[in-house]
Amino acid sequence: MPTLLFEIGSEELPASAVVAGARRLPELVKAQLGAEPARVYAGPRRLAVRVDGLAEKTPDEWAKGPPVDLREKAAAGFAKRHGVSVDELEERDGFLGVTVAGKPLADVLPERLDAILRGLAFPKTMRWDASGLRYPRPVRWLLARLDADAVEGFGTTTFGHRFTAGAIEVGSADDYERALREANVEPDASARERTIRGGLDALGEWSDPLGKLAEVVQLVEWPRVQDATFDERYLALPERVVITAMQSHQRYFPLGENRFAFVANGGDPETVREGNERVLTGRLEDATFTFERDVARGIDELVRGLPSITFFAEAGSFADKTERLVKLVDELGGGEASREAARLAKADQAAELVREFPDLEGYIGAEYARLAGYPDAVAKAIEEQYLPDSASGPLPETDAGKILAAAERIDNLQIAFGLGHKPTGSRDPYGLRRAAIGLLRLATEGALPVDRTTAFADAELRDFVEERLEGLLDVPVEFVRAARKSGVRDLGAVAALARFLAALDDDRLEPVHTVFTRASRIAGSQGNGRVDASLLTEDAEVQLARAVESEEARIAREVEEGDFESAFDAAATLAPVVERFFDEVLVMAEDAAVRTNRLRLLSELRSAVGALGDFSEIPR
Amino acid sequence: MLASLLAYWAERGCVVMQPYHTELAAGTMNPATFLRCLGPQEWRTAYVEPVIRPGDGRYGENPFRFQHYYQLQVILKPTPDDVLEQYWGSLEALGIDLTRHDPRLVEDDWEQPTLGAWGLGWEVWLDGMEITQFTYFQQLGGMDVDVVPAEITYGTERLAMFLQGKDSALELEWAPGITWGDVYRESERQFSTYNFEAASVDMLMRHFDDHEAECRRLLELGLPLPAYDHVLKCSHTFNLLDARGATSVTERAAYIGRVRTLARNVAKAYVESLDAHPAV
Repeated sequence: MPTLLFEIGSEELPASAVVAGARRLPELVKAQLGAEPARVYAGPRRLAVRVDGLAEKTPDEWAKGPPVDLREKAAAGFAKRHGVSVDELEERDGFLGVTVAGKPLADVLPERLDAILRGLAFPKTMRWDASGLRYPRPVRWLLARLDADAVEGFGTTTFGHRFTAGAIEVGSADDYERALREANVEPDASARERTIRGGLDALGEWSDPLGKLAEVVQLVEWPRVQDATFDERYLALPERVVITAMQSHQRYFPLGENRFAFVANGGDPETVREGNERVLTGRLEDATFTFERDVARGIDELVRGLPSITFFAEAGSFADKTERLVKLVDELGGGEASREAARLAKADQAAELVREFPDLEGYIGAEYARLAGYPDAVAKAIEEQYLPDSASGPLPETDAGKILAAAERIDNLQIAFGLGHKPTGSRDPYGLRRAAIGLLRLATEGALPVDRTTAFADAELRDFVEERLEGLLDVPVEFVRAARKSGVRDLGAVAALARFLAALDDDRLEPVHTVFTRASRIAGSQGNGRVDASLLTEDAEVQLARAVESEEARIAREVEEGDFESAFDAAATLAPVVERFFDEVLVMAEDAAVRTNRLRLLSELRSAVGALGDFSEIPR
Repeated sequence: MLASLLAYWAERGCVVMQPYHTELAAGTMNPATFLRCLGPQEWRTAYVEPVIRPGDGRYGENPFRFQHYYQLQVILKPTPDDVLEQYWGSLEALGIDLTRHDPRLVEDDWEQPTLGAWGLGWEVWLDGMEITQFTYFQQLGGMDVDVVPAEITYGTERLAMFLQGKDSALELEWAPGITWGDVYRESERQFSTYNFEAASVDMLMRHFDDHEAECRRLLELGLPLPAYDHVLKCSHTFNLLDARGATSVTERAAYIGRVRTLARNVAKAYVESLDAHPAV
């Protein structure tokens, strides 16, 4: 059972491509070679697999030919194509055919390995020569060894560390790891990660606030963690500015105070340290310079720069966006602090520092607001406007921050839907799903009142946002769907209603559910028209009309106040009256006027109970 | 340093050229790159290009930002298989011992919407400092390239800072006893004032319209090369207007769209003219 080693050698791949390639390799290898790789190696200059226990021969295959009754017409041609005589054809399930013997592994490997190479999919690929092959960066060598044998069309040479080793011969599949390690390449990404983590741990408390470690693992082949320092005078900058200068571009890891760690791929440690220190000094000097210029301009002056900065093509400038935010904050019931924060929220888009370090948006605007003497509540809200920044990230702590964060998301959603940029399938370039979930979390966990009827006049947008509730709440989806169709206007209350409905005992739910679904089924598409009291003849329907009239207002009022318990009780009082109605009254009366009147009564009943949700969404 | 690099690439078959005669925001815009990289013909060149970016000036006060600096640009078309080895060799030719340093290729996708151009490549780092941009062009003027060229753009100030161990471009020794700052500080101050405060907006807007009209007229006459000069003029004029803060958001987008349309039309006309009069 031979072992295969297959390596695709390329120029330096982006970290994301290394990860995408390594993830896809196992299934491709399985599909082409019938076995999962025992090892996947991934790094900036190589993607490779080791596959153990391959079959020496591909399995025999049944080549199906023409049906038996077409023997006369078609058998000869089929037999000829397969290089056998007609007599040699076998018969199986009414078809002629021939068993094609499996081929030796070595014969099929070249095309199978080529299929693996071409089967790799990456988000971004390029051409580099006339071969037409597409890959994230040029492929420079292909290596394959089947045990100690070469594979036709593939090399037996790999390349070690780019600057300290050259081409190296890999004698056999088993020799690959050892040969590379001797040439200063660690092909195993998890081993590199362990080395880096160990190196960082040895330097003391380290942090990775912008999450760069996974990327760094794929940027080096022979990692060496080093520490370095910068001049203490830069500690006068806001902390996040210093951290961003270290992490955003240079991918350094803060060690606290004026120390940082970096991961080298080689070189003389002292020389490399000096160079990296000089680079960070340059960045911090630049940051200081821009920070001071921004502060000298002041946040109010920055706001005056917003008309010339595009927020989104066709959606105007950041000044236009600011105007919309101020209005939205008002609609959300925001006070002075949130209105002021909305006015200043986008000021830092005009700041030089944000152009340099986009990660600082929000944070640095808040810093500039503080330095200009704005109240802390305003600064805090500016800082919190992009929260939550992930599905489980923290929410804003302040009320003004919640309101501004909600306004920010509502505006992004309204603008994107207004311009027709709706997410499709897995494509969501503007992060609208995240925006919707963020908004829902502000409304539910954050208890921020958001009137869904005014925030989402566009029905499609409203559905888009509310559909996210189904995944967000820990409640069976049918209860969320029922609650979405209730008369509840507040987004957070829809969630509360869904939870309330889901928590009801079957005994309590059943009668109201029955009232709604029966009324709904029989009323059908009957619209709401006034019930004519003079056409009500039987006592049971008179009683029902009275009950509906008195309970409808009560249910609506309790729902409005968020007292679902009382609203539900009110709806429950209708159950016996409705039951008697159905027992004693024939809705489909001969007289058309009486019939329509009864249908109207049921339609009204449906609306009254429907304020608590569309119970027909809940299967019984 | 510049002379060594040019000599190095001349030895590898590059035509050494002098800077182009009008303002460019990048060495890529030089017709020796933008136009010559279109079509199927082989082409290798190396040249120093002064790049003019009106919005990047900082009155000579910032050690890293200037409205005028130098790129050294190399084009290898088609891309040789050992293009990276050739590039590393150019650094060694400057006396850089690559085993003592930590050279790295860090993903950097390049895109220039006004030229309808994009490519994939890297920033080249030496001990964390970016000294070169390396790009494999994929599209220019909205068209897929026939043959993929490699573009190597050395940031000459950064590279010199690395070689001289300086923290500011202004302190670079340009010639014995003369610093980069001695030569350019005052010009940075004056041009920053011009770009941000003094340039005549009316005149620039007029010029933009004129150059745009001239470009179209020249295209109709079947003269894509002179027409391209007017694309460059439009691009620079727009950059000045932008630095001057003279364009609203919608106007800005419209100007960019106009330059892009011109660049695409010129690229198309140039490729068509190649069929008639092969360039090399």
